[in-house]
Amino acid sequence: MAKQLMKGNEAIARAAMLGGLDAFFGYPITPQNEVPEYLSRYMLEEGKVFVQSESEVAAINMVYGAAAAGFRAMTSSSSPGIALKQEGITYLCGSELPCVICSVMRGGPGLGSIQPSQGDYNQATRGGGNGDYHVIVFAPETIQETIDIMKEAFDIADYYRNPVMILVDGLIGQMMESVDLTRPVKKRFLPEKDFATTGTNHHNKRNVVNSLYLESAELEAHNLALKKKYDKVIINDTRYELINMEDPDYVIVAFGTMSRVCRSAIETLSEKKIRVGIIRPISLWPFPNRAFETLEAPHLKGILVVEMNLGQMLTDVIVANNGKYPIGFYGRAGGVVPDPSNVVDAIVHFKDLVVK
Amino acid sequence: MKRITFITGYFGSGKTEIALNLAVQKRVNILLDLDIVNPYFRSREQEPLLKELGIRTISSGLVNSPHADLPFLAKEVYIPFHDQSLSAVYDLGGSGSGARLIRQFKDYLPNDEVDLLFCVNINREVTDTAEKIIEEIHIIESSGGVRPTGLINNSNFLKETTVQDIIAGEKVLLSVAKATKLPIVYTGVVSSIDSDDFHVAGEKIILKLYFNKHWL
Repeated sequence: MAKQLMKGNEAIARAAMLGGLDAFFGYPITPQNEVPEYLSRYMLEEGKVFVQSESEVAAINMVYGAAAAGFRAMTSSSSPGIALKQEGITYLCGSELPCVICSVMRGGPGLGSIQPSQGDYNQATRGGGNGDYHVIVFAPETIQETIDIMKEAFDIADYYRNPVMILVDGLIGQMMESVDLTRPVKKRFLPEKDFATTGTNHHNKRNVVNSLYLESAELEAHNLALKKKYDKVIINDTRYELINMEDPDYVIVAFGTMSRVCRSAIETLSEKKIRVGIIRPISLWPFPNRAFETLEAPHLKGILVVEMNLGQMLTDVIVANNGKYPIGFYGRAGGVVPDPSNVVDAIVHFKDLVVK
Repeated sequence: MKRITFITGYFGSGKTEIALNLAVQKRVNILLDLDIVNPYFRSREQEPLLKELGIRTISSGLVNSPHADLPFLAKEVYIPFHDQSLSAVYDLGGSGSGARLIRQFKDYLPNDEVDLLFCVNINREVTDTAEKIIEEIHIIESSGGVRPTGLINNSNFLKETTVQDIIAGEKVLLSVAKATKLPIVYTGVVSSIDSDDFHVAGEKIILKLYFNKHWL
């Protein structure tokens, strides 16, 4: 069956399995519960590992263990749960272990609400762990795109030996769409996992997976090697989509659910004879700076950042824009999903929303 | 339509859209949202609309807060069984875990005034063949302790639904009906593709998709 109706969370789970998931570790939290629920049924049917851990912290450390043993491991959670995983994430980065982390955002801070939000942009792209590290973050806007990226995610993680995060809001997790699970995705050449702790095989030196480097020079060399790797990610895996970008009067920057709302808004705006394009970041880290560097629009009056938070991606847009155009911001928080009419109003009243 | 209708089925089969459309079109007195499985897209979110139409909503949310995630049932859930003058639609949570709540009503069931309808969308992977649907019906029956009394063909792809999708669903459900001796009571048809000469098994329910925002 090529086409079927799937809920976002189910699609994440199935696509992870199609991407080669060997072992899942997670702890329940709304609104991502269908991910572990789905995997608890199907992973065991296929002889794979599913563990409902005793906590989020335990889950991310189990991911560390499975990844160190050379398996494709994943955890999923929602905002407060991802907060708990931060220590594990920096250890994974420090030890150069590949894994996939799925984050289905809800309202915050603290316990917040269970309604959809994009309030974890900073949590995903900056992280709360220690040291110089990056997580590769993708923010799809449809369930189909979530599937396609998820299917590729383990390859990307293995290729760079780094965690990859799929970041969606609760709406994408909970809604249903018609999808095709069989769409082909990019394949890449992957080296042997010679770092994995799979036994000495009677003659090899044993592998140790660790992020501890007691000598300053040694740790600096490690930091520089990581930096070199991250630079490679920036060059090769920065992703974004340009929508309706021919000679726009305004440009909207939005990701995930918000870009869908904005797609609808720019149709209404074109009826009002206002030409509006959209820069849609697909990778949030690396952020698509080049979309702004190459932006040539003689009639452009400004860039409007629209988010379901109070201005987090805004910082990255300000940096990428480098003072070239005026920047405005429209954001809603707390689980409120703006309507296309709100975005239309924001463009019409752009001058009032300009960030000083 | 019987005085009381329970809508059950595999999760994501469209129970809530069917329940809302049935409640609105049949102008029942009460819509009871017994979904304690899903956090979003629950019929209680439509309470303001239902109120305007004179339909009372009973759910397990807090007062004025449809967005709580609380696994309890309001004490009012038995009202339709105590007052024979009231008609009602019960919207249950998905699959076995949602259907387990039917056991709350075991003192009143089975009952000639009550339909327990199993809603099916064959485009969901767990209910895409007659065999799998029959298995799901057994799961609902063993969880809820009551045998469904009929079927609903709700085979769709939301806004992308075609007439062929509904016919394909009907074909599968007719063989389920034959094997289980359960009738197809309703067929859901998205309003945009309906026409007068489109005939379906059971009563046709023209669906308005209450949760499908135009930008989705």
